[in-house]
Amino acid sequence: MLRVKAGDVDRMGLLFERYHRQLFGFLYHMLGRADASEDLVQNVFYRMLKYRHTFTGEGEFRTWMYHLARNVLADYIKKNRHDRHHTDVADMAEHLGGGRRADEDLEKDQEVAQLHQALAQLSPENREILVLSRFQEMKYAQIAQVLNTTEGAVKVRVHRAMNELKTTYLRIEN
Amino acid sequence: MNCERTKEQLVDYLGSQLSASEQAELTAHLAECADCREELQAVESMWQTLGKVRVPEPSAHIRPDFYAMLATFKESVDTTPDYTLKGLWQWWLNLDIPRPILRAVYSLCLLGVGLIGGYWFSNSRTTGAADQQQIAQLATQVGNMRQMMMLALIENPSASERLRAVSYTKQLDEPTTKVVDALLSTLDNDPNVNVRLATLEALAPLAQDPAVRQGLVHSLARQESPLVQTALADVMVQLQERRSVKPLRELLKQENLDESVKSKIEQTIQTLSTGRPAAPSTPPRNDQTNLTSPAQRAAVATV
Ligand SMILES: [Zn+2]
Repeated sequence: MLRVKAGDVDRMGLLFERYHRQLFGFLYHMLGRADASEDLVQNVFYRMLKYRHTFTGEGEFRTWMYHLARNVLADYIKKNRHDRHHTDVADMAEHLGGGRRADEDLEKDQEVAQLHQALAQLSPENREILVLSRFQEMKYAQIAQVLNTTEGAVKVRVHRAMNELKTTYLRIEN
Repeated sequence: MNCERTKEQLVDYLGSQLSASEQAELTAHLAECADCREELQAVESMWQTLGKVRVPEPSAHIRPDFYAMLATFKESVDTTPDYTLKGLWQWWLNLDIPRPILRAVYSLCLLGVGLIGGYWFSNSRTTGAADQQQIAQLATQVGNMRQMMMLALIENPSASERLRAVSYTKQLDEPTTKVVDALLSTLDNDPNVNVRLATLEALAPLAQDPAVRQGLVHSLARQESPLVQTALADVMVQLQERRSVKPLRELLKQENLDESVKSKIEQTIQTLSTGRPAAPSTPPRNDQTNLTSPAQRAAVATV
């Protein structure tokens, strides 16, 4: 990334190849819409190019990426507040469970679908922290950097989020 | 260590977030507490299931969209020139003829001198086979050099240099995947219409390669210039590429589509759907396209 900063903009291609799926996954969990998530991926990479001088080289590239991603996401949600967009994640949750693959164990499949549904129904804060820790496999210290908070606070929030997930899941199951 | 604290740490444990000593303490407690082990099992089951939640793959557009954005960004950076000494130095450094190419050109010259010299000396002797071998080697090197030149020049900010890069590909016996990829990405993303048209002309004869065919079909959705749209439609008819019907129909939905392009595309869809060849005289062949000459099209494109 420091090389991108130095002006070698082509390096951004390598970073895109390495990280765009992860970033897409994060945005998809937060928005529940693939098309909008793709647009926001482009948006995040555009900001990386434009603000490449703000990357200090301290800390990880990923931390910086999610930092920008959260800003882009917040902008998007603010702009689309009057749209029906805020229900997208919930909509997605309702459609889950359809389209199961026949080759997979049905019961296990249903469990996954219901848990996905539960995840989609969590508060954005709790969903975000679980996505970062479980799907993006980030260390608490990195998550703390992304969220501008302390490691201790992250720990507490992960714990709380898992509890909310459990309650929601049990409600859906029954 | 007590049970309450253990239960608080189970998720951290599953996410490999604990330090070595914390983990040792936790496993020690788990070894002697059935209650906590049971809790671990419950949390672990949810944690594992959560890990199986899948996200869809991003669509095929995400990559070309990104590279187009990157190219546009680079262009905007390039068009704000920096005339200070440092800027000039930077420009000189960025003038991309990579060192390996300069070296290759240099060694090729040396080899040339060596060959001529060798020829002079060996004229009296009978060493035809050795010479043949050397000449074959030289030909390979020239081929490699053209490819390197092409790959270096196609990134050049100047459109005429990029046109030169595209023209190099016609002299390549067998373009490598790298060259084909570079051409396809140029066709999709180059900001200059003339470069895109020349690239299409260079790609059309390579369409026996399935990757090229697919790239051409996919490119339909990426083109906005009426000239390129029309030329691509022509190529699709030449190749009898039925897979292009769907993207062509998509293209028809575009709002500001040029009227002439619209009728051209409708005609193309018609031809492809009925399976009648476009040109009644000759059946389409891979090594033939009826594109007009680059010069003609360049003239149109600059109008
Ligand atoms: Zn215990």
